[in-house]
Amino acid sequence: MLATLLLVLSSVSVAVTDLYVPETSARTERALAAAPVPSPTAPLHISEERSDAGIALARSADWHEPAATTDRSEPSHHGGGYKIVQWEWSYVQTPYIIAIWILVASVAKILFHFSQRVTTVVPESCLLILLGLVLGGIVLIANKKQLYQLDPGLFFLFLLPTIVGDAGYFMPSRLFFDNLGAILLYAVVGTLWNAFCTGFSLYGAKLAGMIDEKVEAGMMEFLLFGALISAVDPVAVLAVFEEVHVNETLFIIVFGESLLNDAVTVVLYKVYISFVEVGPGNIHTADYFKGVASFFIVSIGGTVVGLIFALILAFATRFTKRVRIIEPLFVFLLVYLAYLTAELLSLSSILSMTFCGIGCNKYVEANISQKSRTTVKYTMKTLASIAETIIFIFLGISAVDKSKWAWDTGLVSCTLIFIFVFRAMGVVMQTWVLNRFRLVPLDKIDQVVMSYGGLRGAVAFALVVLLDGDHVKAKDYFVATTIIVIFFTVMFQGLTIKPLVKWLKVPRSTSRKPTINEEIHERAFDHILAAVEDIAGLNGYHHWRDKWEQFDKNYLSKLLMRKSVYHKGELWEVYQKINIRDAISLIDQTTQSSAGRKEQGGNVLSSARLSLPSMASRTSFSEVANVTNYLRGNESGVCLDLQVIDMVPSGKVQEETETHHLLTGNLYKPRRRYQAHYSRHFMTVGDKERQDREVFQRNMRSRFESFKSTRHKGKGRHKKDRSQKKRKGSDAKEQDVNGKPRRNVSWQDTAVLNADSEEEKSENSDPEKEEDVGITFVARRADEIPKQGPKSASVSLETCQSPSVMPPSPTCAEKHLPWKGGGGTLPVCVSMETTKIIPIDLQQAWNQSISSLESLASPPVQAEPQHPRVAAICRQEGVRAPGGRFQFPSEEEEDAQSPQQQEMQPLMCSGRPPPQAPLPNQGTGRRPPNFNPCVYLRSLVTAPPPGSEPHSRGPTQL
Amino acid sequence: MGNKQTIFTAQQLDAYQDCTFFTRKEIIRLFHRYRDLAPQLIPLDYTSGPDVKVPYELIGSMPELKENPFRQRIAEVFSEDGEGNMTLDDFLDMFSVLSEMAPKDLKAYYAFKIYDFNNDDYICKSDLEKTLSQLTRSELSEDESRLVCEKVIDEADLDNDGRLSLDDFQHMIGRAPDFLSTFHIRI
Repeated sequence: MLATLLLVLSSVSVAVTDLYVPETSARTERALAAAPVPSPTAPLHISEERSDAGIALARSADWHEPAATTDRSEPSHHGGGYKIVQWEWSYVQTPYIIAIWILVASVAKILFHFSQRVTTVVPESCLLILLGLVLGGIVLIANKKQLYQLDPGLFFLFLLPTIVGDAGYFMPSRLFFDNLGAILLYAVVGTLWNAFCTGFSLYGAKLAGMIDEKVEAGMMEFLLFGALISAVDPVAVLAVFEEVHVNETLFIIVFGESLLNDAVTVVLYKVYISFVEVGPGNIHTADYFKGVASFFIVSIGGTVVGLIFALILAFATRFTKRVRIIEPLFVFLLVYLAYLTAELLSLSSILSMTFCGIGCNKYVEANISQKSRTTVKYTMKTLASIAETIIFIFLGISAVDKSKWAWDTGLVSCTLIFIFVFRAMGVVMQTWVLNRFRLVPLDKIDQVVMSYGGLRGAVAFALVVLLDGDHVKAKDYFVATTIIVIFFTVMFQGLTIKPLVKWLKVPRSTSRKPTINEEIHERAFDHILAAVEDIAGLNGYHHWRDKWEQFDKNYLSKLLMRKSVYHKGELWEVYQKINIRDAISLIDQTTQSSAGRKEQGGNVLSSARLSLPSMASRTSFSEVANVTNYLRGNESGVCLDLQVIDMVPSGKVQEETETHHLLTGNLYKPRRRYQAHYSRHFMTVGDKERQDREVFQRNMRSRFESFKSTRHKGKGRHKKDRSQKKRKGSDAKEQDVNGKPRRNVSWQDTAVLNADSEEEKSENSDPEKEEDVGITFVARRADEIPKQGPKSASVSLETCQSPSVMPPSPTCAEKHLPWKGGGGTLPVCVSMETTKIIPIDLQQAWNQSISSLESLASPPVQAEPQHPRVAAICRQEGVRAPGGRFQFPSEEEEDAQSPQQQEMQPLMCSGRPPPQAPLPNQGTGRRPPNFNPCVYLRSLVTAPPPGSEPHSRGPTQL
Repeated sequence: MGNKQTIFTAQQLDAYQDCTFFTRKEIIRLFHRYRDLAPQLIPLDYTSGPDVKVPYELIGSMPELKENPFRQRIAEVFSEDGEGNMTLDDFLDMFSVLSEMAPKDLKAYYAFKIYDFNNDDYICKSDLEKTLSQLTRSELSEDESRLVCEKVIDEADLDNDGRLSLDDFQHMIGRAPDFLSTFHIRI
């Protein structure tokens, strides 16, 4: 059904462009032309155009001539004059056709993914090839001649670079380099082996008479054919393996091989071509050595070119601070230039581009802005995805061409058998050698998948089409065979590899969460092994990487990264980034929780707000008039996903997720862990990002830890908090009656920060910096929100409160005379303790994150309607306060730990309406049950010191 | 080659071969590794079976090991005197256990022993807390580590006695697919 739909669609699209359009054009032109009477020549004209129509779509320039002439003939027919609307097909032809093709490809993709069942069984590449066959058939029927084929120039200059660029730039570099030995072995030795064996065997088959006499090819031709047919193709491998989800090591080995074997293929191809051209008789021994030398030049040269461009790119992005908008362009341009330059120097362009991508990634990502990063990511993935689609469609179309049907059963079957057999043999032999050196050997199943995954693809096709028919007599046979081989590997092997993998129980890359035990023991084992290795004095597995990292740290990073980035370290940037993200999620969560409470209370704020039932978390959005206020809200538990809100996990699940989160946040990283997955179509959160988030949360947690210890003298306090929390439901009701959105500030939370929290942070970050890429924390998924279960209140509080605001720094006067501050200039209550302790860098980070948040969040609609009242009361209380409570301001100021003083501070800011009334002893997030400001403030003023028992229950007393 | 003959007698080598999963060659290579730890302490001639130990201070002070949270525990578990001073036998033992040939049960047993800090043949809460604090560099709060320990025991404790016996541990570790398969070192 789908297929027919597609067929109809594609035929329509083709037909539209092919036939219908010229027809209408003629009609419109007739209608709009100066001469109103249809001349007798008009029908003839239409048919003329119709016969041209097929050619009209051809990419060849030949079409231009007839089209132009018809266009020109038209006005002369009708006596010239001004035409209001003109048909400018020849003008837009090329981009139009390209756009239409891309559209067809995209629509095809959409349609494929309508049916889950089909796409899970059949790889997309197969479907695309089939679609290409159908389209090609239609074109062939319509025109009697195939107009399109995968043009090698187009392929090598535009389609391939997009895919390789994407692959290189997002290559999981650690995984890649960890397996570099294996990859190189397979890429170089394996490809050579395949090429020679296939070539010689085919020649042998020819001599044995298995291949028809019509195939006029000598040894050189067969070797040439062997060379181009033996290379595993990156496009096909990516397309198929991405859907199979084999484990990362297996994937990177096959995929890396397919990328790196380019050098071998290019050299062999060129050498053989020149040998074929001069004729086998005229080859000197020196030529063979030249061939070997050229291999090194091509491969190493390509790599060097790539690295040079990586260097340039990284260096250039250092200075794009003022022109953020062109940052992505730089990335694309230079990566592409690396490809073109290598091509220009006839070096291995794929190698060049791959290494350019791998090399620059780290520095570029550090230098460019977050938005540019996203842009680069999306654009690259989009381009690569569409290029891949087009390649496969065109492969299908190219096959439907009479001129290529030079079938020779002997050649085809021999080639198929040979490439399969030799691939398998090569893999087995190389793996045998390799396993002597590998820590984790590749077992038999891996070898089966590797040999089976040796897919051939468009590169081979483009190369074979490029052959010169004059020199290589059997070109047509080779082309036909190549097409068959490609179709067989992509379609048959691509179709069967999934069941095979399933049947062989190849370890897949799983997203299963490890049990807690596993998590702990795995880390422990890693440490143990590392220790034993070190005791034995083994030259550490990562010896060379360590060396490189040192070099990178000492020289490269200094040169290539922005000073700001470098000096502050990745950590700082990440810290800032995460601040923003976590703050956003906190808002989401806070709004959600408050909405939830309101529902409990059976009452709703009647202010103008969105009441979309599906967006429960947004219903109280108007309440978030001032984001910074909300940041101070204490109820937390980050929730990024609106859908999750409805999910009520059982207590056990909750606990488990908490425990997991706890562990991921805390387990000290061993040296040898990696997990990477490469996929073009799905963008996962980068490992690094996840890790960074964990680090951040850890930081903040430790801050709150330190706060709590100073503030609450231990954990006993928490239990009270918890018991208070249970009263929340009724509290909420009461509050809603008062009609006051909660404005309580937990600014005490932010207030006290031990100086060592900073130290702690850097301590935390140290392993992070050093061991950087390799270690993955299990991402905290959206459904892992630490719910505030009885056991885990502390966890959730600590992890999620993180983004409470560290307010902007006050002026000097404000610092020392808090009551002089305010006057509405400060957006939030400023705690002097905070600003004193937080280093300037962090303040900036906070400020930036806050400001970005303010711009992000809703505009200050409903700008705190209760302000005036609160303000008034506040003023009253403010007058009273100093007398009642603040007798010794000067002494108390000196006492950094004095909570009273902090509490009093906002009261001192008499000039301005405090948007949130500070709550003493509401430190860890209790909402005041009753928000009548008068009562509330009274309680504040008469409050006993915060540690004391009754005060901590303040709300209930009232 | 003549050199190597003088390190061990044929009987010694046979004995070592019987007791470990190594070939003669590997044993001799391991011996050189061992000797590299403290060249001045260890004689090249082992035929008389000298009673030499590499003290823990030497092992623990290796720069590569400084960061490793388990260095002491490993040395303790594998050393005969329980204090981390390793003889050649201990050294060979350790690698034997961690070699590819060693059966999973043996590995699990030693892993269990490493976790069992107080040597009572059960992994109890205090053991787990110790493990955790080493893994996290003591950055978990009491509450947190208690929570984790409860979960761990809850997850793996089959007989509900509140602690993990060797059987529990083996069962738990056996469930994980490639757990022990990575627990080896190539010498």
